[in-house]
Amino acid sequence: MDTLGRIKDLASKEFTLDANALDPAAPLDTLGIDSLSFIEFMFKIEEEFGVNVSDDDLKGIKTLGDLERHVAAALAAAGKA
Amino acid sequence: MAERRVAVTGAGVVSPIGVTLDDFYRALCESRSGLRRLPEEVAKGSGVQVAAMIDWNPQPLFKEAEAANLDRSTQFALAAAGQAIAAAGLDTRAAADRCGVHWGTGLGGSNSLEGAYKQVYGANEWRLRPLTVVMAMSNAAGSNVAVRYGLRGKFANFATACSSSAMALGEAMRTIQAGRADAMIAGGSEALLTPGTLAAWQALRTLAPADAQNPAASCKPFDKRRGGLVLGEGAAAFVLEDESRARARGAPILALLTGYGNSCDAVHMSRPDRDGQVRAMREALAEAKLETKDIGYINAPGTARAVGDVVESEAINVVFGEAAARLPVSSTKSLHGHLLGGAGALEFAAALLPLTRGWLPPTAWLEQPDPACKLRHVPMRAEETQPPGAVMSNSFAFGGSNVVLIAERA
Repeated sequence: MDTLGRIKDLASKEFTLDANALDPAAPLDTLGIDSLSFIEFMFKIEEEFGVNVSDDDLKGIKTLGDLERHVAAALAAAGKA
Repeated sequence: MAERRVAVTGAGVVSPIGVTLDDFYRALCESRSGLRRLPEEVAKGSGVQVAAMIDWNPQPLFKEAEAANLDRSTQFALAAAGQAIAAAGLDTRAAADRCGVHWGTGLGGSNSLEGAYKQVYGANEWRLRPLTVVMAMSNAAGSNVAVRYGLRGKFANFATACSSSAMALGEAMRTIQAGRADAMIAGGSEALLTPGTLAAWQALRTLAPADAQNPAASCKPFDKRRGGLVLGEGAAAFVLEDESRARARGAPILALLTGYGNSCDAVHMSRPDRDGQVRAMREALAEAKLETKDIGYINAPGTARAVGDVVESEAINVVFGEAAARLPVSSTKSLHGHLLGGAGALEFAAALLPLTRGWLPPTAWLEQPDPACKLRHVPMRAEETQPPGAVMSNSFAFGGSNVVLIAERA
């Protein structure tokens, strides 16, 4: 599964959402994901991918698509992708 | 303005002897104990042998992902509050600003906190999950109840050890009496059967060892053979409402909450004081405008500690005088263990049993009453009774915080 697929899969489990219906461009709050839930979700994303997303980067993440780009960049920086 | 009276219109229970009010009452009537030997993975090196642990399955009440984000004590709280609200038929969102939550807990989300410490100190793994704080904090249970049911009015969280949830009920009654709310969800929860907390309790040398023949009989309040208290877990919740509004909407009225006594021993952290208990009972009686002869049952703290059982027996005799000889008193902790922050609310539910259903709950295993605990006991088995006009529920806590509640027949 690609990075976005894995993120969608995790999000669907965490927030009980349909993975296929998750729009990567949709603002997180429209998916019912509030700031506290997102921080908890990020913790799981970091575990899953073995990366760290800085507080500054976190502020720029508004959609699952943003999240994918940051994870991909972090993986690349770590030489994992 | 006429004084506002407070009706109890719904009750919910999550206890080691039943996870509904009806199951709880059935177990009390059948003297069915929830005490058992602790599994090794819970007791670990604590040395604690026995407790009243709930065989809890978060499903179907909580989805798996949701349960993972709620401390065990919060899950108990939400379950009990949900039962109470459903029983009362209360639409909590209809006048949400006039409806609040008063909750009690001793240690709050102790499973979450201990889990974090275990990871940090046990595994040297310092990356904790972000929800640790909001899962572990003391007000997590009450606040989650408020969020779940949209209760936007008065909120308070009480942490006075074993009287926490009794205080939540008493203060919720005051809030309604004062016209600051029309309905309150009041109760308490506790879930602290974790190895570290058990070890701390064990260090206090106040816990009973397992009864060798029958672990279920390890807690023997008022009995000569008593060996200490047995920890439990769970929650109980009530819907309290302004009586006139409750009647106007045709709500079921279980009882009226009419008396609340609150005093502090101000003597010692763990040794109870007779005078403080006497003052709390007298205050509750005075507020309810009742005489001692009007009380038809007392649910006593009866923790089965050597000193505590004697002191509270003496306090009852001081307050009730000759009437004490005819006044049924029991400690249901013999069956459900000590719920600490949840104890006051659960035992208030037990105290309503004679009032609402005509059964006096027993002090189980009471075969050899200690002469120093001179009371009219309800030994071994529940007794059928004419529903009394009023009952009393006493909660006396570490720290010397005493709470006495009086409920009257509706």
